[in-house]
Amino acid sequence: MAPDPDNIESLVSRRYEHGFVTDIAADTMPPGLDEDVVRAISARKNEPEFMLEWRLRAYRQWRDMQEPAWAHVHYPPIDFEAISYFSAPMSDDDRPKSLDEVDPKLLETYDKLGIPLHERARLAGVAVDAVFDSVSVATTFKEKLSEAGIIFCPFSEAVENHPELVKKYLGTVVPQRDNFYAALNSAVFSDGSFVYVPKGVRCPMELSTYFRINAANTGQFERTLIIADEGSYVSYLEGCTAPMRDENQLHAAVVELVALDNAEIKYSTVQNWYPGDENGKGGIYNFVTKRGDCRGANSKISWTQVETGSAITWKYPSCILRGDNSVGEFYSVAVANNYQQADTGTKMIHIGRNTSSTIVSKGISAGHAQNAYRGLVRVMPQADGARNHTQCDSLLIGKKCGAHTFPYMEIRNPGAKVEHEATTSKISANQLFYCRQRGLSEEDAVNMIVNGFCKEVFKELPMEFAVEAQALLNVSLEGAVG
Amino acid sequence: MKPAALSFEALRDAVERLPDDRLASSRRAALAHLAEHGLPTTRNEDWKYTDLAPVIDISNRWLQRERETAPSHEREKMVEQVCRSIDADWLVICDGAIDNRFATDFEQPGISVTRLSEHGGELQFGMPLSDLNAALLQDGLRIHIAGGATPSRPVGILLIDHAATSPGMSQARIEIELEANSAASFVEYHVSSGAADHYANTVTTLRLGDNSRADCVRIQNRAGNHSQTGRLSVVSGRDSRFRHCAFDLGGKFIRNDLHVDIARPGAQVEFNGLYLAGDQQHIDNHTRADHRVGPATSTQEYRGIVAGSARGVWNGKAIVYEGADGTDASQTNHNLLLSDKAEVDAKPELEIYADDVKCSHGTTVGELDETALFYLRTRGLSEHEAKQVLTRAFAQAIVSKSPIASMHDTLADRIADRLANLLQGAGA
Repeated sequence: MAPDPDNIESLVSRRYEHGFVTDIAADTMPPGLDEDVVRAISARKNEPEFMLEWRLRAYRQWRDMQEPAWAHVHYPPIDFEAISYFSAPMSDDDRPKSLDEVDPKLLETYDKLGIPLHERARLAGVAVDAVFDSVSVATTFKEKLSEAGIIFCPFSEAVENHPELVKKYLGTVVPQRDNFYAALNSAVFSDGSFVYVPKGVRCPMELSTYFRINAANTGQFERTLIIADEGSYVSYLEGCTAPMRDENQLHAAVVELVALDNAEIKYSTVQNWYPGDENGKGGIYNFVTKRGDCRGANSKISWTQVETGSAITWKYPSCILRGDNSVGEFYSVAVANNYQQADTGTKMIHIGRNTSSTIVSKGISAGHAQNAYRGLVRVMPQADGARNHTQCDSLLIGKKCGAHTFPYMEIRNPGAKVEHEATTSKISANQLFYCRQRGLSEEDAVNMIVNGFCKEVFKELPMEFAVEAQALLNVSLEGAVG
Repeated sequence: MKPAALSFEALRDAVERLPDDRLASSRRAALAHLAEHGLPTTRNEDWKYTDLAPVIDISNRWLQRERETAPSHEREKMVEQVCRSIDADWLVICDGAIDNRFATDFEQPGISVTRLSEHGGELQFGMPLSDLNAALLQDGLRIHIAGGATPSRPVGILLIDHAATSPGMSQARIEIELEANSAASFVEYHVSSGAADHYANTVTTLRLGDNSRADCVRIQNRAGNHSQTGRLSVVSGRDSRFRHCAFDLGGKFIRNDLHVDIARPGAQVEFNGLYLAGDQQHIDNHTRADHRVGPATSTQEYRGIVAGSARGVWNGKAIVYEGADGTDASQTNHNLLLSDKAEVDAKPELEIYADDVKCSHGTTVGELDETALFYLRTRGLSEHEAKQVLTRAFAQAIVSKSPIASMHDTLADRIADRLANLLQGAGA
């Protein structure tokens, strides 16, 4: 019997395996946002005057801004007064010096997530700056990195120890009033990661951070700043999961990348936050601003993302190709199942001469999900010899989901070569039948087809992430098929 | 910056001055709609690349001044020229007024032409600018093709405007209905003259009966200082076929909206377009195909050649509704940029809510292929000639898709003239 394609939808209903809350007394501020809250956050982090001023400026601008409504997503209005803007684990004053000193409950959390931190760090050679809620609690491999002159630390530490670098680069890629959520983040960001790779240094290991959202009703406002100085190289991995929650949680992160002459930054993300249950209840609102600035000549910034989580995703990792011969890349797999909504894509702004960009976007929709690609390619008049190739493919699984493409091309230079291709397809009964008669279960067949569809993106991921991403994809689609 | 506003007091007076005929209630209702909703601004996603300020400015100046009424000799000459060059039964709308000399009995059986004011039905005006059109409409034409009729000659509709000394503005509205099993072709020709600014705003509706066929060619060749906005709304019947080809050669500020509503299965829809823009021209084509049911096919290909400081905008949208299985929708847009100051903005959109569909789009923007140019140079052509050959070939792909074969030569000539102009301007 040929598999019934309608039946495919029922294969995808495994429960979210990372759904739990670790019971740690959190030091949380009461909900609501005004200047006093901004001052309190800044004070609690012992920030210098310039940071407070910076935050206040952002807050005042945010107050006058409108929440954007153009994305192809629908959700009830967010009450920004009902959100608590700061939450830190109690042990803040007495930060652990090594993993042994880390609150065992935290380590337990990581274990539940399948990330044995110490093992992973040692065996895989990965330095993990783990962010639990809003304050970093453990940093490893620091010495090895500092030997190479690399600064890899929580953002708050960078403000304290390297204020000149923070002052010089913070907000230069994503200005405070860039958009509503970036402004909010600028005002209240709690912590995040800071990376500085000095001239000519090739970072000896992949840098990685795990973000978690833990305390209920606490928006997570991460701020990441990565600077690759002339001729340097760094690969940064970011992965996240969040506990099961019924209320929607807001996440508005900002990531800024700066690549100077001949530098290269590779930024990989696996995003697996709680997407809500099968009926669309709960889940994270993920409204993120990520942007890289290829400031120097021959610089390169590459974004790779695997987006399987969140109830709503609003995310456009972008590249500003300012330096001559600079390169921007965007590889994305976005999976939306059940009632998830994703509006994601990229912006490639060609400013320098002979700049090139590549966009490969794979969108998968299942259940009742809506998945939209939104991308901008802009070639400025002075960007002679600009080159872009965009490919965005959509895969539909089921009759109730939607797949959308909204590409924008704004070309102001005759020497530009810009190409855009898009296709939409579904897993056909024929494909499934063929796999079934070769002995594959229906679920394996679907996983195989989907993984094949995403291969171009997965091969861009660092090795261990690629494995995780494939597994994640299979989990995410479980219950969508069968 | 505050968006330009239409002066409503003057507009209200202008609507009041129009004859108290059967269209009067529609005009007032459209005015009320316009007063409530206003005109779209660049904050509106569909108008992101096109700011209506220039035509609002012309409208305001027109509303506040005396109108020219004297027919010009120049205009008569143009009417004659167009009607002679294309073989069709012509209807003529001059400055928004129906020219009685042409709107007479058609020799071909099955075609009847009447005035909208004779019917007194409600005018449709829900979309941007269609309310402005309805509010200021003097009168419009209704073309009816009887069931089973297949007239051999195209119906030509010439829209001609003239603004010699003071700003001009005109509204035209054409409603076409094809009954079941009929087949007809239509030529819409827009032309204008005069040194003063002019803004023309047209609304065309086309209703296709079951198993009917409509072939349409629209040519816009307005004076270089004149502006136009136009909306064509098509509703397709079961197993009907609609083919449309649009050529934008002239004008200063042009915006075309083409909307096809596929509400019955089996429809085949094809629309293509060519825009040639130079100097300060702004040509914007927005298309939208609503696939409400399947199976149905929509294909579109737009090509643009943009020179000088001109801007070409193309936004194609296909929406496939839930359950519209068997939909096949494709969009293609190719652009040639000929100068440093020219700009192309392209946006091919797909919104898909059904899974048994085939949808694709492809867009390219670039300059003339250097190796092709080099090859032609080695065969003894000058650079200018080589560019002419290549741009003509690029444009010819759309000409050959034009559904009225008898017009191909005329079209190719007009396009060659315009291209020669553009290339001169591009300094080649």
